[in-house]
Amino acid sequence: MRDPESATITVPRPDDFDAFWSATLADLPPTDVELTPVPRLSTELVEVFDLRYTSYQGVRVAAWYSVPRNRPAGPLPGIVNIPGYISEPLPPRAWSERGYAALAVAPRGKLRSNAVFNPGYPGLLTHNIVDRFTYGYRGFYVDVVRAVDVLGQLPGVDPTRIGLQGSSQGGGLGIITAALRPDAVRCVAAGAPYLCGIRESARLTRSYPYEEINEYLRVHPEDEERVAETVAYYDGLNFAADVRAPTFVYLGMEDDVCPPETGFAVYRAITAEKELHTYPRCGHSAGLHWVFPKVEAFLDTHLTPEGVR
Amino acid sequence: MSGFEEYWTAVDAELAAAPARPVLTPVPARSTDAFTAYDVHLSSVGGYRIFGFLSVPRGDGPFPGLLDTPRYGSVNLAPHYRDRLRYVVFAVMHRGQRLADSPFQAAYPGLFTMGIDDPATYVYRAIVADCLRGAEFLLDHPAVDPARVGVRGDDLALVTASRRPRFSAVYVNAPFDAPGELDDLLRAEPAAEPAARATLSLFDPGLHAVDVPVLRAGHGFELTHEDAADDTAADAWLAGKLGVAPIAKFAVT
Repeated sequence: MRDPESATITVPRPDDFDAFWSATLADLPPTDVELTPVPRLSTELVEVFDLRYTSYQGVRVAAWYSVPRNRPAGPLPGIVNIPGYISEPLPPRAWSERGYAALAVAPRGKLRSNAVFNPGYPGLLTHNIVDRFTYGYRGFYVDVVRAVDVLGQLPGVDPTRIGLQGSSQGGGLGIITAALRPDAVRCVAAGAPYLCGIRESARLTRSYPYEEINEYLRVHPEDEERVAETVAYYDGLNFAADVRAPTFVYLGMEDDVCPPETGFAVYRAITAEKELHTYPRCGHSAGLHWVFPKVEAFLDTHLTPEGVR
Repeated sequence: MSGFEEYWTAVDAELAAAPARPVLTPVPARSTDAFTAYDVHLSSVGGYRIFGFLSVPRGDGPFPGLLDTPRYGSVNLAPHYRDRLRYVVFAVMHRGQRLADSPFQAAYPGLFTMGIDDPATYVYRAIVADCLRGAEFLLDHPAVDPARVGVRGDDLALVTASRRPRFSAVYVNAPFDAPGELDDLLRAEPAAEPAARATLSLFDPGLHAVDVPVLRAGHGFELTHEDAADDTAADAWLAGKLGVAPIAKFAVT
């Protein structure tokens, strides 16, 4: 019988971990933001835009951006909605109905951002996984970091009130992005965080996406060490201590996709103000039905949108 | 013949005139001592090549079969490890989804209402044909025990089982819907509503009769929102119908 809360998950932290990410984030190209209204996806309450910006290595990244039509006098708080592994981001209208300027990012490889980078699905998790410098997630991580920068620079958005929200890949990258932009991120809600305890996760489950690693190693057994070396640079456990924003984590106690052992491990590694909600008999939904109102309340408390203040 | 039956009979005739010409390519990365995996490319209506993930248990068959119809979204996962241990399992992608996206790439949001003003052009006519092609491929696979084949997915699974009544059990995990997308269309073009409703009526799962056991979420199988428990219950139901042992995903390591 598994006891996820007591399990020990360790990931070696490379000596040059910070230097690697400083170098990755140095000299990024100007974001060159382009906003196009999308009347067809807009409603009486919310205006939706197609937003595009330039990210790592010059790749153009797409997002949906939405704002409430009835704007308060002051600037809006912002939310970056980070997508899961196989999902396509949808216009984040519900967040704007709640009073937020909301940006749902489609990092490289997602449908609207895959013109020049398209490792495919399956494929993203193991794309160049033997080399941290060219690993597919390198640009993907930066795309989310840049989404925070872009949102904070949009007119009418309060750059001191930006939160991150997502589950699975969106949960893991919420934690990672908060660590990489500690001065910009005000709070994080992270469900069933993926990309935490990456190598160990592939031993704990047979579900995708982690199973992609097992499949890769089945035909490239000689790459075991190189894979472990690369993913250590991308592992949420190695970012967690750098998170300064209040963090809300929720887990399904029978999550076959992102093993709860790794969710507990990343939660323990977070030193910022934090809270944890766990749901027995829940899998990768991580109790969404019950936890989502708590996520909304958490974000509202820290970001104070006008409508619910 | 009713308009409904005429519509679907024409789809069957079109499929029958389009040879599948499957090509199976073994995939060592997804194969183990227990099963062999293949990437499958095959033809469907309209001169379109679709894709599916196939996995066949090793050893002497026949084995029970399981068809996974595609979800609403760009990406479908390869069959789960626990299913590859027990079934000849085929996960078919419909046109527009990843791995079946040349030359047509489906948009999300957007796919759900594409061509909906006319039943003849509604994209789901061809999508159902793609599911039926996948069903035929699995049902005719030599390693499959034809008396024990299940189908699983959203309402597309029900429609598939209705049009190809050789399945012995159906698990329907979600309705045929893309929340908000019909609203988006009707907000922009209110006059489009009658035609859209008429088109959708051809896909009404209530009109696609199935006379084998069906476990249908929201229709007698109430989801608890405890998704691991729900999945375990559905898996046990299907395994029971197809004569294999149940396996909870969380228990597989």
